[in-house]
Amino acid sequence: MGKVKVLWSKTMRLLVTLFILISVPSYGDFSDNLRVSLDGSARLNNNIAASNTSRIYALGIDTHKVFTSGNGDIGYMVGQLYLTKLSNQTPFSSLFNSPDDKQYVIREAHLNHTSGPEWLPNIRVGHFTLPFGLEASIDTNGRLLDYYHGKNLGTKLDWGLGFNKVLSHVEYEFSYTMGGKNEPKQIDNSYILSGRIGSLSHYDFILGLSFLDAKVDNIQRKRIAIDWQYYWHTWGFLGEVAFGKDDKFQKEWQEETYSLLELHKTSLNEQFKFYGQYIFTDREGDSKNQQVINVGVSYQINAKLELSLSSRQQVNTPESGKKQNLFRLQLRYRY
Amino acid sequence: MKIFIMLALVVFLSPMAYADAYCSLRDPVAQIKQLYPQKTNQLSIVKTVDAHTRRQVKLALPSNDLHFSELGQHTLYVAMKDTEALGYVHVRSEQSKWGLVEIIWALDKNLQIKDFTFQRCRSPKKKVIDNEDFKNVFIGKNFEELKTLLSSDGITANSMLLNKAEDAPELASVVLRCALKTLLITDILWGEELKKFNP
Repeated sequence: MGKVKVLWSKTMRLLVTLFILISVPSYGDFSDNLRVSLDGSARLNNNIAASNTSRIYALGIDTHKVFTSGNGDIGYMVGQLYLTKLSNQTPFSSLFNSPDDKQYVIREAHLNHTSGPEWLPNIRVGHFTLPFGLEASIDTNGRLLDYYHGKNLGTKLDWGLGFNKVLSHVEYEFSYTMGGKNEPKQIDNSYILSGRIGSLSHYDFILGLSFLDAKVDNIQRKRIAIDWQYYWHTWGFLGEVAFGKDDKFQKEWQEETYSLLELHKTSLNEQFKFYGQYIFTDREGDSKNQQVINVGVSYQINAKLELSLSSRQQVNTPESGKKQNLFRLQLRYRY
Repeated sequence: MKIFIMLALVVFLSPMAYADAYCSLRDPVAQIKQLYPQKTNQLSIVKTVDAHTRRQVKLALPSNDLHFSELGQHTLYVAMKDTEALGYVHVRSEQSKWGLVEIIWALDKNLQIKDFTFQRCRSPKKKVIDNEDFKNVFIGKNFEELKTLLSSDGITANSMLLNKAEDAPELASVVLRCALKTLLITDILWGEELKKFNP
């Protein structure tokens, strides 16, 4: 009962603060250049291999605000806060305490200062996606589509400081974050140093190089990666290949190779998208590599409503003998 | 009950959603610099393209409609050189047989086309944009002047433009429709606010 009261009280405080910021006349300027969406989704996961069906519900607020002065933009802010409820979800993320837990989850929450001199990079502060690989230029927050930052790097988002800039022919982002994942603090001397430099993200062919040196959850990781995106008509061919090593047991480095290939096709009006992914992971010390195929489809019913389906199948039989076999369905509504 | 009232108020304050999460928004910084090399910064002005805007587009350009991704909040950029406004930049997308074509339009302070470049175009004929004769048909023209380049069906370009488009007639019509919608929507939504930059 106490927990419910705390949750209720936090909800009210957040909503009241947001409402005041947006609506009170003295904050009139704050509502200029402000985007606010209510974002709700219901996800059904049918883990056929484990004979388990679970659900994840998320309801949150997605905001984007550009701060300006008479001379131009100063920077922008992104804030995404979601109340996320699990139902029979196993295994569950470290953000939750039980298979039926509910928690406030901060997705992106950062400020990017963009108005420095041309030779100075923009400065980002807050909770943001690690600048590494495909995920750096393709947003997957709240979608079934995934490029597996969390699995490969220990976390997808982290609190810290980043430097970024779009130049005439290349763009880059480097960051130093604390490794606390959803919490703005270091845990057991955790840290993440990561970066990506690539060709401009609106080109038909995009090439990127990334690196990562991190200690998260007491696991040391080092990675270098190359990623690419090639678009032809309504087709896209994407890939990411990463090499590196993990040290889970102090001074025992194990090499790891990870690669992801994706082929996708969109309809002419982009309402319909189909994708297929092949993922290969080879870890030193494991007797077998892991090969997984993801197939997904999304249909943007209108500007607000999207239906997504995906299926994840393991190609080769793992040591445990149980191949991954997961079917997911999600309905997402943004207002 | 209270939480639903609060949520309803928040919902009421966001009239139109954007299909992707806002963290995916990217300013076309490199392209603005290409169109206005002397700019030192840009000033963003966000407005909402809604059903009312859509009706006005249909009225001014019969046979035309807005793609669902064009509804929602969009940014017009004022290219700034210190405190001086150099002109405006507006990105619009137009459906084509090669998927969505996204064009970045540079407009002068009288809402005439100054220049343009593709942000995304997967047509094999996209090099038509390097053809000066083709580009010059657009440059310096306002909405009414460009509208005379539409043929009677209201969708395709007439011979005045097609003669300059070499072997890319379909792409030429896409660029023309995009230019017309850009000028029209810029005027409808941002026109009043932009007057302060052109006293």
